[in-house]
This record gives sequence, structure tokens and C-alpha cells, in this order.
Amino acid sequence: MRRAARAALAIAFLLEGAARADGAADRIARGRAVLEASGGCTCHTDFEGGGEPLAGGRPLATPFGVFYSTNITPDLETGIGRFGDADFLRAMREGRAPDGSAYFPVFPYTSFTGMSDDDLLALKAYLFSLPPVRRANRPPDAWPPFGWRISAAAWQWLHFAPTRFEADPARDATWNRGAYLATAVAHCGECHTPRGPTGALDRSRWLAGSEQGPEGQLAPNLTPDRETGIGDWTHADRVWFLQTGGKPDGDEAQDLMREVIEHGYQHVPAADLDAIAFYLESLAPVRNKLERKR
Amino acid sequence: MKPRCTALCLFAGIAIGAGSARAADPAPPPEASIKYRQALMSAIGGDMAAIGNILKYGLPLRQNIATHAENIERSAALIPSAFETKVVDGLTDAKPAIWEKPADFKKKAEAMRDQAKKLAELAKAGDPEAVGKQMKALGGACGDCHDDYRKPKEESYKRRAGGGGD
Repeated sequence: MRRAARAALAIAFLLEGAARADGAADRIARGRAVLEASGGCTCHTDFEGGGEPLAGGRPLATPFGVFYSTNITPDLETGIGRFGDADFLRAMREGRAPDGSAYFPVFPYTSFTGMSDDDLLALKAYLFSLPPVRRANRPPDAWPPFGWRISAAAWQWLHFAPTRFEADPARDATWNRGAYLATAVAHCGECHTPRGPTGALDRSRWLAGSEQGPEGQLAPNLTPDRETGIGDWTHADRVWFLQTGGKPDGDEAQDLMREVIEHGYQHVPAADLDAIAFYLESLAPVRNKLERKR
Repeated sequence: MKPRCTALCLFAGIAIGAGSARAADPAPPPEASIKYRQALMSAIGGDMAAIGNILKYGLPLRQNIATHAENIERSAALIPSAFETKVVDGLTDAKPAIWEKPADFKKKAEAMRDQAKKLAELAKAGDPEAVGKQMKALGGACGDCHDDYRKPKEESYKRRAGGGGD
């Protein structure tokens, strides 16, 4: 009797352990999907310098100087290995380090702030499932005062308030899913929306393209304007582009866009890419012809 | 000799002279090379776009994919000869690096040709998923060469012509 009880207890314990392991594996898999929908976090990989995946150190040229992405592997000393859940959520949603200091807005917390806690914690679980890489973060080579942490705090005070994504009840579930993915997770606006003189996104020209994309690249106008945007693309063109990088004219995506498709968007479920495309098609066309800044 | 014949002979002589001068002219204008290169690239782009249209809309033309892929394979084989003459000035996005590293340039064109060949084979075998994957690989091979040897869109002559300036 007693033995039977003990055996039952042992089995229950085993089952619970298995269930917990299953839950963790599910969460890691979901986190990987979140990472892919974000474009693979490729800014945190220094491909040209031969850096390990997600170990940071990639130079990101901005009008304010060169910033270096951080190590987001779970290394305890140089990565995010000591981040608790609350630290991770605060970093992603509020742009604050565990010590309370402000992150430079080159890290797009301005978009990630819209992400759900559920998606963010799944992402954290995935990142923490990866091998830790020891690689110290590098301070920015930025013009004073832009490279000072205190400037990041001032910038946040001027331009940033943590805001969750709010579904629009007037729109259907597909549109809302697309809006959530495009604005928060995939952070399209960080490259494709023009910025003002202090580097804040000009939300009146949302996704209308930017001459000052990351690494000095030109980020095209994604609104359906026929002349300066992608109004001549069909829905199928948009989905196909995110899946393969192939443009309607037979050319292919370049530079950072190629990277985020390769390491991220191409793996996103078709229904989600569909939703992103519907969202982009719903935008008001904005006329914004991009010219290279001298 | 009658004056009429003289005039005729003279005319004929000039005509022959002009004709042979054109035939012997060794140097077509440099922009001719640019135009040819761009036409060849457009042909490849056209076949890529055509395959893309069949796949993205699910057109009942899957049997055409292999032919488009073979077209790309054949066009790819023409790339090294199209870029043999060095022309970097003018309305072109070709980088001078093409003529600094011709062996690598040729290798990348060949890599693209091999991916096109593989696409043709897979298309004939008829596995839709493999065809989709191979399209990505082929697009990647285009991009690998463009990354090194084509000016990025920021520096494209098309943008300069649009009034942006340098």
C-alpha cells in the first residue's frame, strides 16, 4: 500500500517534470518564432567582423556617431545572463538597463515597448537557451554629448513613453495582428520612418521611408503611394518579398533587409506575413521621395 | 570616260569607303557596353520575376518554371563576356571592383548559373517546396554578386539622375 503510494507519487512527480520540460521547450520554440518575427535580431551579430551570433559588437552608424550593438547571449559577465524576467521586460519595454540607466535609442525599445510580456518572456527563454558567448560590449564612438548615457536619459524624457500595443476594435483580428507585428515586433518603423533632427521618429510620416536608415542605408517608402512608395506592389508581392527577398521586378533585397529576411521574416508563418501585408496596404499613402543626403 | 560615269564611280567609291569604314570601326561607344550589360541583367530579372509570379499567385504555369530557369542559366553564362570591356563611367551601377577581381566576379556569376541549373532540375522533378527553396538560393546568389559588384541603391545612377546628387 505504502509502496504503491510512493510509486504513484514518483510517477506524478515524473509526469509533472515532463510537463514542465515540455512547457519550457514550447516557450523556447515560441521565443524563437518571436526572434524570427523581429527579423532575427541581426543587429546584434557582427557578420563582417566574424562575430558569434548575437554576441554584439556590430558597428551601427548613425548621424550621431557609431554605436556598437550589445551582447545578448546569456553570458554572465558580458551578456544578459544575469537579467531576471523583470530586467528583460524593463530593457525591452522601457529602454532601461538593470542598473536603471537609459539605453541609447539605437536600440529600438521605442518599438519593442508595444510587445506583449508573453512574447518578450518567450524571447528571453529562447535567448537563454543559446550558448553564452564571452564578448565585452564596446562603448559608442559618438560625438559628445551623444555618446553619454545621460543624453539617452534626456532623449527618453523628450521623446519616449512606454506604450503597449492597443488593438483597434474597429479593425479585424488580421489587421490588428499585422499592426502588432509590423509596429512592435518586426520594428519596421525604426528604419522605414523618417527621423527628426534629434533622431525621434516622425510619426506623421509613418513608414514613409528614410534617407538615414541604419548603416547609412536608404530605407524605402513602404506606404502605398504609387509614385514614391510601393503602391504598385500587390498583396502577393509583399508576402513573397518577405518570404524570399524577391522584388516584383526580379531584383532582390539588399543589405540589412536581405539579412532580416534571411535570418527572420522568411521563417514567419504565412498567416502572419499576410497580416503584415494587409496592415501595410491599409496605410495612408505618403508622398516621400527619398534623396541621398549630402 | 563620260562625266556621268565618273560621278557614278565616285559615288560608288564613297559608298564603299563609308561602308568599310563602319565595318572596320573598332570602338563602339562605351555606353553601348553599359546598355548591353543592363539588357542582359534585365533579361535575368524578367525570368526571375516570371517565376516569382507563377509561384506567388499559384498560376497554372508551373511547367514553364524550368524554361525560365534555363534561360537564366544561359544568360548567366554570358555575364563574364558582357563585362569583359571595362566601362565604369556613365549611367551604370557596375563597380570598378569587377575589373579588379575578375576571377572572383566570374566565380560568382558561375555560382549563380549553377543555382539556376539546379532550379531547372528541381522544377522538372516537380517538388513545389524544393522549387520555392531553390528560388531563395538563386536570389541569394544574385545578391552575393550584387553585394560586391553593384553599387548600392543609395549610390545608384538612377537616384543621381533623379536629382539627388552626390
